[in-house]
Parts: sequence; C-alpha cells; structure tokens
Amino acid sequence: MSDTAALRETPAREPDLLAQLADLTCNLRNALDRFRLDSRLTALAEKEIPDARHRLNHVLKLTEAAAHRTLDLVEQSGPPAERTAREAAALAGAWARFRAGTISVAEYCDLINRIDHFLTAARTDSETVRANLAEVLLAQDYQDLTGQIIRGVMNLVSEVEVVLVDLARLTGTDPNAVQAQPTDSSRGHGPAVPGVDHGAAIVNGQADIDALLSDLGM
Amino acid sequence: MNKDLKFLVVDDYSTMRRIIKNLLHDLGYANVTEADDGKTALPLLQNGNFDFLITDWNMPGMAGLDLLKAVRANEKLKKLPVLMLTAEAKREQIVEAAQAGVSGYVIKPFTAQTLKEKIDKILGSMAVPA
Repeated sequence: MSDTAALRETPAREPDLLAQLADLTCNLRNALDRFRLDSRLTALAEKEIPDARHRLNHVLKLTEAAAHRTLDLVEQSGPPAERTAREAAALAGAWARFRAGTISVAEYCDLINRIDHFLTAARTDSETVRANLAEVLLAQDYQDLTGQIIRGVMNLVSEVEVVLVDLARLTGTDPNAVQAQPTDSSRGHGPAVPGVDHGAAIVNGQADIDALLSDLGM
Repeated sequence: MNKDLKFLVVDDYSTMRRIIKNLLHDLGYANVTEADDGKTALPLLQNGNFDFLITDWNMPGMAGLDLLKAVRANEKLKKLPVLMLTAEAKREQIVEAAQAGVSGYVIKPFTAQTLKEKIDKILGSMAVPA
C-alpha cells in the first residue's frame, strides 16, 4: 500500500481507535473502582466489622450489667420498704386506741417504745431506699454510652451497604433479583421492630394474641 | 391458690429470668428454678416434679417451641402447664405454639398484671394437685 493510500484510510480507522480508547478508559476506570472497592472491602472485612462485633458485644455487657445492677437495687429496696409498711400497720391499732382514749397504761408505754423504735428504723430504711433509687438513676447512664456505640455501628452498616451496592453494580448483579434466605420459624425471629416488621402477619399486642387464641378455642 | 407450686423459668437472658422470678415472688410463688435454654430445662423437668413451666421461644441450644413439643411428647410431663413468654409476634408462630399444645402465650414486653392473669387462668382451668 502506498503512503497516499494509507493516509486516505486514516479517517476511517479513527472512530475505531477512539472506540477502543474509550473501552480502555472505561475498563481502567472499572479496574480502579474495583481496586478502591476491594481495598475498602478488605479494610471493612478485616478490621472494621470485627471491631463492630466487639463494640456490640460491649453494648450487650453494659446493658446486662446495668439491668443486673438495677435489679439488685430493686431487690435490696423491697425488704426495707415492706418493713416500714408492716411496722406502720402494726402500730395503727394501738395508735387508734390512744386517739380514742381507750388505751391502757401498759399498752401506752409499749406504744411509746414501739414508736421510738419505728421512727429510727423508718428513717434508716427510707434512707436506704432513697440511696438505692439514686443508684438506679445512675445505673441508667449506659444509655448514653451504648447509644454512641450503636450509632457508630449503624454508620458502618450504612457504609457496607453503599460498598456492596457499588460492588453489585460493577459485577452486573441486580440487587432486586437476589432473594432473602428463608428463616426457620421454629427457632424464632426475635422481637418485631416497628417500621420493619409490620402488616397482618404480626400481632399487635397482648389483646390481639388473646383474641387469636380465643379463635383457636383457647 | 396453691402458693407451693414449683415453677421452672427458661430464658437465655439472666435479667429476664430475674424479672420473672421477682414477679413470681410478688405473686407469692417462692419456689422458682431457672434454666437458660430447652436443653438444660428438659433434664430438670424430667427429674424435678415441676408444676408450671414458663419459657421463652428464641433461645440458643433448644428453642422454646422444641421444648414445648418435647414436654408434650413425654409421658410424665405431657400435662404440665406451659406458658410461652416471648417477643415472637408472628401470627403463624402463635398458631404453631397453640397447635403444639401451649397453655398460654404472653408477648414481651409484658406487665406484671398480664403475667398474673395468664398464670391464674391456666391454673384455674386445670385441677392443680394441692
């Protein structure tokens, strides 16, 4: 082929070259995107998701410890509160007789002693209950800490979602075509979450369950 | 009401077991034993002469529904009152529990009053040995 002929063919090959260049650029961009995604996925899988698991485990421990602390304090407050109520009720009869002027001298002396004892005991017991209530209040501080940790993990979940959607786009997977794994209902699903689990399949409180069981003859 | 009844409370969360145990104490039932899933509960039931079983559904090891089925399939235990106390809220699950022979079903979160009503109803509907 002569030089003149080659020159004449150049305009015809240009679009072809440009198309190849465009393909190459596109592939390069996809490769870079994939590399960026791969690096991010690796970091997520190796570091941040295990971290998140540890963080959520810490939330479990904090909430469990706070619940046990609260239960301890409630259990410790029961006896002094019951003692005060019981003693007050026990004094009421003699006190009524004193107010009516029908009390004997011996019972009056006994009543004075019992009231002395009751006032001291009631003050100590009430102080115990009050201090326990203050501790119950403090035991709720886990909410602040666990709330911050859970929000951090929620941000991570959002990021994982974005990365996975990008990955699905790059690999040409249609996210809508992927079916959720069926769960085994005999194992249980856990609590229904408002805004996520709803509809006719979910009961709405105890009254709904009672009505359903009643329909079943229970 | 017979307050000497022997209760077994099965839940994988120790806090929930404590809450139920405290509520039972408030109702006058002082004889309460705990287990953390069906697998540990079943041998206790087989050897312990329990009068009443309160169980969660969603637990590791053996779930509450499987425990219920095991109780109903056991000659010695088949008439034991079983109250399901769970967060499981699907209609199909409640029907499944009813078909498996549950005596009552309380949804979490629950109130002390609801627990009392259901226990009273179950005990009232059967002849409880004194």
